Amino acid sequence: MALLELDSVTKRFGGLLAVSNVSFSLDRGEILSMIGPNGAGKTTAFNCVTGLFPITSGQIRLDGVSISGLPPHRITKLGIARTFQNIRLFAFMTAVDNVMVGAHWWMKERVWDGAFQTKRARSEERSVQQRALSLLDQLGLSRYAGSYAREMPYGLQRKLEIARALATQPRLLLLDEPAAGLNSHEKVELMQLIARLRDEGLTILLIEHDMRLVMEVSHRIVVLDHGEKIAEGSPAEVRTNPRVIEAYLGTGASEATRSA
Amino acid sequence: MRKRLAAFIRTEPEGGPSSAGTSVFWILASSASGLLIIGWLLPWFVGPYDAGVGYSAQDALVSSPTGIGTILIYILAVAMVILFVSPFAEAFMRFRGRTFGPRADRIRLYLGIAGVVLTGVVWLLYRVLGEEPLFGSLQPGEISDSAIWLTMYGFALAALVYGARPWVIGRQTLAFGTAVLPFGIFLPLMFHQAPDFLLWAAGSLAIYMLLALGLNVVVGFAGLLDLGYAAFFAIGAYACASFASPIHNIHWPLWILIFLGAAIASLFGAILGAPTLRLRGDYLAIVTLGFGEIVPDLATNNVFNLTGGPNGISGIDQPHWGFMDFSESPRWYYWSLLLVSIAVIVLLYNIERSRVGRAWVALREDEVAAAATGINTTTTKLLAFAIGASVSGLAGAFYGSLVTVVTPDDFSFSVSIAVLSIVVLGGIGNIAGVILGAVILTFVIFWALPNMDAWSTTLSSTVHIPALANINFSSYTYIIYGLALILMMLLRPGGLLPSRARRIELESAGESESLAAVQGIA
Ligand SMILES: Nc1ncnc2c1ncn2[C@@H]1O[C@H](COP(=O)(O)OP(=O)(O)O)[C@@H](O)[C@H]1O
Ligand SMILES: [Mg+2]
Repeated sequence: MALLELDSVTKRFGGLLAVSNVSFSLDRGEILSMIGPNGAGKTTAFNCVTGLFPITSGQIRLDGVSISGLPPHRITKLGIARTFQNIRLFAFMTAVDNVMVGAHWWMKERVWDGAFQTKRARSEERSVQQRALSLLDQLGLSRYAGSYAREMPYGLQRKLEIARALATQPRLLLLDEPAAGLNSHEKVELMQLIARLRDEGLTILLIEHDMRLVMEVSHRIVVLDHGEKIAEGSPAEVRTNPRVIEAYLGTGASEATRSA
Repeated sequence: MRKRLAAFIRTEPEGGPSSAGTSVFWILASSASGLLIIGWLLPWFVGPYDAGVGYSAQDALVSSPTGIGTILIYILAVAMVILFVSPFAEAFMRFRGRTFGPRADRIRLYLGIAGVVLTGVVWLLYRVLGEEPLFGSLQPGEISDSAIWLTMYGFALAALVYGARPWVIGRQTLAFGTAVLPFGIFLPLMFHQAPDFLLWAAGSLAIYMLLALGLNVVVGFAGLLDLGYAAFFAIGAYACASFASPIHNIHWPLWILIFLGAAIASLFGAILGAPTLRLRGDYLAIVTLGFGEIVPDLATNNVFNLTGGPNGISGIDQPHWGFMDFSESPRWYYWSLLLVSIAVIVLLYNIERSRVGRAWVALREDEVAAAATGINTTTTKLLAFAIGASVSGLAGAFYGSLVTVVTPDDFSFSVSIAVLSIVVLGGIGNIAGVILGAVILTFVIFWALPNMDAWSTTLSSTVHIPALANINFSSYTYIIYGLALILMMLLRPGGLLPSRARRIELESAGESESLAAVQGIA
């Protein structure tokens, strides 16, 4: 059974069909990329999956169980974590604290544990902090552990968002344009990171404009345009799909490529 | 010039994300200076020129001692003068863009220690030994212990501030606690000759401080603007009043009632918080403002015959435990409040640094990201409301017992505003800042503003400007208060002791959108 299934999902903003009758599924351990021009509805699809937007119709299933209508934190608990296209870190929290927030839902510490600094609170706090630090270390962020998120360089903020998402112990990671604004060196690092996460068994749904990255890491690609799914298949299939080329380069472009 | 002034007022070191700051240094240094001058002048205030009332180092000095005493007294005087002017000198040097070297600090450390010792010696000689072998012609009467205590405290504080400057600057909170706590504990002893008025004032300060600490959880930590916070104060006070007064003929002890007040208030905090969950900023402020108006109105209308109507509930019990007779001296209230305040401060400080505290800040910073990171925004917000309200309810229980009568007027909008001012002025989101804000604002609200008329009358007769006496300051209190707030916010928008986040945040503004707004349900 697929890990995540979108079953004719539609999201309407007033008169605008941001996502229109989109279906696809995602197997365990797979990296699926979602591509499409700006405004195609990719981010909206993410927001629907993570419960930020209630969907207009259709169904979203995780492990065969419907998650549509659940609040975002419940969906996180079920194992879906995400990053945001326009970085949404907790700007005035330190990098460690940002990552530790990711551990919030599975920490056992109650309010009174914290208030009275019970043994449980202290030991859990210590171990979670340790984990956060090692996560930062793995992503090469340890130098900034104590700085506020907003004081970090842009590229590292993107990484920190991934670290925070990983701290929620997800099974499925949604990355919304993680390479946007990164330099080529950082992009290579990102690609390695994605490959490593895949090797560790994480399932990844990726929105990305950088085609080199997409073609390299994806098992399959879903193409959206104007809210509709216009193609799905392996990188090789999608690359040569005339509808995709058309969507990206405008009408007539596919003929041009064919004749070229 | 303006830039210099700004640099001077902004006492934080330039740049750098370090949490170190010099605010506490300045506060403690000027406190030392202030204590020295108060200790110096107190005998004159307490009973001007009355034989046998006052004694201070100043008395010793003006009565021209002889012998070894002269030397001691002059050392004392020099130490006092140097330490008194030190903060001003430092400020001046800073203004000129320079600083004193470590040697100056060391000298001042020695002067401070010498001051403590010499003042102690003077005290011993007169108080304990009852003689003055060293001081020649001086004929002291009864020693004013307050003056001695305050002077010694001033010297000790100066020794701490200048002797351990890096520590004071590096570990602000700890240094502040270390410096202030003994003062708080010994306050009733230091002023044992002063009227109980001081302890009453300290009691109301503690109550306002508790209120501000509670509100800081909601506004500072969780970032939810609450303009009706006095409602929970009222609920706590009325709960206490109902269970410890003749009105329903129930007489429970205070220590139970503070928990009861806290519990009931937190319950109401959660209930009243629930409908506001989707709101943020201005909308939330308006709704909470409504709650703040409704609760005293309900009390005025004597809901369910519980609240005694516009006259409120009177005859509230004052505890009597063994030798601790709360009705006999406010010092027992003072000490209990001090104890409770310390407990609340420690608990809130712990919570701030725990899992929930992080969740609050995350919520404040970005509600959408917080939700997507697994934080249940509903329960987390309700928890902030409940915990904030519980502190307020606890303060209310104490308040009822302290003043023995609660009326709806005690919980008006102006109380909510005063508490909010304390939080904002002191340093929103920073516990130490809120405490400092409470000290300063209660001083201004309960002492400086009400006394303006008396002062101006005195001043006018002293400097012979009759016009001064004719100004009716009491009708301008809110103008003065408002102007002070405006000025303060212009000069130090982060408050007196801004939290680290706030300090950096001021460089850029902007409020994050609510989860509900993103989800399209609000
Ligand atoms: N909260 C919203 N309210 C109204 N329209 C929205 C909202 N979010 C996205 N849209 C619209 O939905 C369409 C798809 O946007 P989006 O999903 O962000 O595209 P992209 O594929 O570039 O991520 C756009 O036309 C956008 O304007
Ligand atoms: Mg997008």
